[in-house]
Amino acid sequence: MLTNCASKTLAAVRANIRAIATSSARASDNLFVHRDTPEDNPNIPFEFTAENKKRVEAILSIYPEGHKRGAMIPLLDLAQRQYGWLPISAMHKVAEILQLPNMRVYEVATFYTMFMRKPTGKYHIQVCTTTPCWLRGSDDILETCKKQLGIGVGDTTKDRKFTISEVECLGACVNAPMVAINDDYYEDLTSKDMQDILNDLKADKISPPGPRNGRFASEPKGEPTSLSEEPKGPGFGLQAGL
Amino acid sequence: MAKFLGINRLTKLFQMVREAGGLKQAYLKLYRNDDLKIGTLVGIDKYGNKYFENPYYFYGRNRWIEFAPHVNMDYDGSMIPAEWYGWMHYKTDLPPIRDGCRPKYKWIADHSENLSGTKEAYYPYSTTPNKVEAWEPKAKKQ
Amino acid sequence: MIRAPLVKALGALGSPTHQMASRAVRTSAMVAQTPAKAPEKIEVFVDDIPVQVVPGTTVLQAAAQIGVEIPRFCYHERLAVAGNCRMCLVEVEKSPKPVAACAMPVMKGWRIKTNSDLTRKAREGVMEFLLMNHPLDCPICDQGGECDLQDQAMAFGSDRSRFTDINYTGKRAVEDKDIGPLVKTIMTRCIHCTRCVRFASEIAGVDDLGTTGRGNDMQIGTYVEKLFLTELSGNVIDLCPVGALTNKPYSFVARPWEIRKVSSIDVLDAVGSNIVVSTRTNEVLRILPRENEDVNEEWLADKSRFACDGLKRQRLVAPMVRMPNGELQAVEWEGALIAVAKAIKAAGGQIAGISGQLADLEAQVALKDLLNRLGSEVVATEQGFIAGGTDNRANYLLNSTIAGLEEADAVLLVGTNPRYEAPLVNTRLRKAYVHNELQIASIGPKIDLSYDHENLGADAALVKDVCSGAHAFSKVLEGAKKPAIIIGADLLERADGAAIHATVAEYCKKLKKPNWNPFNVLQTNAAQVGALDVGYKAGAQTAVKAQPKVLFLLNADAGKVTREQLPKDCFVVYIGSHGDNGASIADAVLPGAAYTEKQGIYVNTEGRPQQTLPGVSPPGMAREDWKILRALSEVVGKPLPYDNLDELRNRLEDVAPHLTRLGQLEPAGDAGAAGTISKSIGGGAIDIKLKELRDYFMTDAISRASPTMAKCISAVNKQQRENEAKQSVAI
Repeated sequence: MLTNCASKTLAAVRANIRAIATSSARASDNLFVHRDTPEDNPNIPFEFTAENKKRVEAILSIYPEGHKRGAMIPLLDLAQRQYGWLPISAMHKVAEILQLPNMRVYEVATFYTMFMRKPTGKYHIQVCTTTPCWLRGSDDILETCKKQLGIGVGDTTKDRKFTISEVECLGACVNAPMVAINDDYYEDLTSKDMQDILNDLKADKISPPGPRNGRFASEPKGEPTSLSEEPKGPGFGLQAGL
Repeated sequence: MAKFLGINRLTKLFQMVREAGGLKQAYLKLYRNDDLKIGTLVGIDKYGNKYFENPYYFYGRNRWIEFAPHVNMDYDGSMIPAEWYGWMHYKTDLPPIRDGCRPKYKWIADHSENLSGTKEAYYPYSTTPNKVEAWEPKAKKQ
Repeated sequence: MIRAPLVKALGALGSPTHQMASRAVRTSAMVAQTPAKAPEKIEVFVDDIPVQVVPGTTVLQAAAQIGVEIPRFCYHERLAVAGNCRMCLVEVEKSPKPVAACAMPVMKGWRIKTNSDLTRKAREGVMEFLLMNHPLDCPICDQGGECDLQDQAMAFGSDRSRFTDINYTGKRAVEDKDIGPLVKTIMTRCIHCTRCVRFASEIAGVDDLGTTGRGNDMQIGTYVEKLFLTELSGNVIDLCPVGALTNKPYSFVARPWEIRKVSSIDVLDAVGSNIVVSTRTNEVLRILPRENEDVNEEWLADKSRFACDGLKRQRLVAPMVRMPNGELQAVEWEGALIAVAKAIKAAGGQIAGISGQLADLEAQVALKDLLNRLGSEVVATEQGFIAGGTDNRANYLLNSTIAGLEEADAVLLVGTNPRYEAPLVNTRLRKAYVHNELQIASIGPKIDLSYDHENLGADAALVKDVCSGAHAFSKVLEGAKKPAIIIGADLLERADGAAIHATVAEYCKKLKKPNWNPFNVLQTNAAQVGALDVGYKAGAQTAVKAQPKVLFLLNADAGKVTREQLPKDCFVVYIGSHGDNGASIADAVLPGAAYTEKQGIYVNTEGRPQQTLPGVSPPGMAREDWKILRALSEVVGKPLPYDNLDELRNRLEDVAPHLTRLGQLEPAGDAGAAGTISKSIGGGAIDIKLKELRDYFMTDAISRASPTMAKCISAVNKQQRENEAKQSVAI
């Protein structure tokens, strides 16, 4: 009786353990509804700068009449570049320019993960943690960022300078591990490199982007390992009969 | 012989009438109770109901009640108070006056009869709203 | 699909060159749309049955032609094709994978297999995915029993799922949205078919709903906190294939299998939408639309759908007579009828009758017959119309017909806001705007019609301008293939209403095309056309001018007659269902039946007679209106010659034969009043009663009694207050 009871309890505990251990479908860390906050509400005015207004005109001129809504993503991007992130009033501005209902802009802005709808730091550090980068030590890089800035993933420093986010593959696997800071890729990183970059940024000095291990781009480090000799002429390796 | 001629029944009838207290009384009893029986008076409760017993009748009909005269035809089985209920229903053979073990607490409430079907019957109030809300006219001509 | 991106972008730029450009784009689009000749049909095989279809038909439509129903969630006949639910996957021979039937046009000789193993497996798979995140809360879901997902899971789904993960991690959960007092949202149940989004943007013209987020995080909603406020919002409830959007006033009220359904007609506007009245235990629970291509398609306006709780409030349940102390007191029918009969006898023929917004044709005929027998000819409708214009039926009808407006390519609205006066006429105009390049202009105050239109101004003199051909819009009208001018019924109550009417009618003779009558009056009262058809005079003032001793108010609740206008000793008899303006001035109140409680004919704004059927019985002592009049005629000593509805309908047939041919439309001739009418239009701005959404919800005795409609108005007000507060902060 007692053993029966005990085994049942154990089973129940196991079931709970199983529940904890199972990986759950991971939802996005972003919210897909808008909540008015002091930083982000429709009352905060947004206006393109005079310079950007010219850019808006230029972007719009690319699209033919009747298809101006195609300019939505470029305009949202422009707004994000100007403001640092994409507040709701910027979306409204874009909707106004394109003569579209606000909802159509919200749909696009929430679909693309690179539109930051939360206050974002001046330097947006996007650490790639997909398999190649991870194999090459992206965990260390992420840890360095967290430690150096004192914030977690998805957070922004108090002075609104840095935001860390974890992103999926940015297509620079050959230079793994890498981070993208705003538009610049910093590649072939070590913890030390990351610290240097962050220290520079703290002083508003932007380190030159690119590989950090002495490579120019994605070529092999040191000497080329293949295709090093002269190309063979035509007919190389053919059977005599041919 | 007498039995054969049914005379014994006749004498019984006379006896019943005599016990009932005369022809008029016998008629009234028959009218009220639909029955005329002779039996020994076992007791009277505080409401004036009389309880009779006659083992001559078969079980189930050998104990009966004559309700107090003031209720007239408005009698009801639930007028039998709790202390007599047991005797009437053969739960006990001891009528309350002869049963010394009956508890007599002060808090025992007075007997009340079942009021179902009368004006005083309890009706729970409805908790459901009316399906249709009627218009209430304003007092004065507009 | 939607014209909005194309034309809104163009319209905004506004300069003449841009307008020219827009014109060019439109014409080119038109040319592209019009095929040179009817294309040849192609043959396809659905389950080996040959079907002849026109090119461009989708697989789903081809299957529907031979009655093969392909399951679907996102596809809807009246909405754009989205193709995102994947439920309609079918096998097509020689196709490497199943194709989405709703979006795939058929090719010649295709063999479509709607019941093959592959098809069934595909459906089962899709269903498994859909149910992965759909909660199994059918027992507490209002859609249970009428749920597409439930039905199709039973018919096409598997009996188990391989997604055992959810046993540990749970299903996706989505926050519910507050989108107003009419539509309840349980967003966790949403399967992202986007029907509501498409409805909002295509049919309602209110782009408030959309999809935000992506992947597993995608959700349907408004993104910002905002109410989905439109006069057609209830339709998303019908469209929603699951229980994500449900009827808020009806929530947790009944199951579909407990309900009795009665096919009836809506009378809260003059469109005459076909409805199904759901009742249980003598109570109207909800109202749903019924399909009628000629009238309401399959939509229903919110007032018609949600005002049904007004049928249970402010009802007249017993006859009432005003006592000497001035109070209305409930009496028996006998006493009430005798009191009225006494007053009638004392009046000596000085009697008048006014028929209101919700009166059925039978009662109108009975009232007119009774009054005629009593020696009075004064019967009038409560809403005014031009004097002497009621002889010609074309004068007060929507002659282009509701379905016909879909084909119009130029429309002028004069003093009317179809969006709120007749929402389902407005959906037709919007349809024409989206698909038919309709150009619309309006004369009257600036209003939001849910589509772009040109506001010419509010001055009544503009009518003359346009109709003389001098105005710029006259060119558009004259150049159009099917032009239409729609006049609001309320406008014709103006002093110069007759002049406006005559001017427009004259101009419409010029615009006339074969099989196309451009002259339209948009009525707002369900009873108006019927009353005018059976010979009522227009305008409550007609009755008031007669200074009657006895005045009958048949459902007349608009408050156009006041005690002050009537003689002191006038005895007012109110016959109707609700205690409202009419009953409060009455000396005798005879409780009638509401439209869900009687069989009555109503003629809609295009002149189509349709009948309501009783779903419930009238409350308390209330009776059908014509029966009250019949009983009264007996008491007065002038009995009416009909004892039942059939005999009354026969009488109606004698008066107006076309009104008993239910559902059929009798074309009317040219509009134009007999005799000469002054055509001098006095200036002054044209006004519209129903300018905004808040004006829409309460327009008659039933909707004024409805708590749901009151909630709608407060929701609109609340939203506006919030918007204003935001704007003031911004300034």
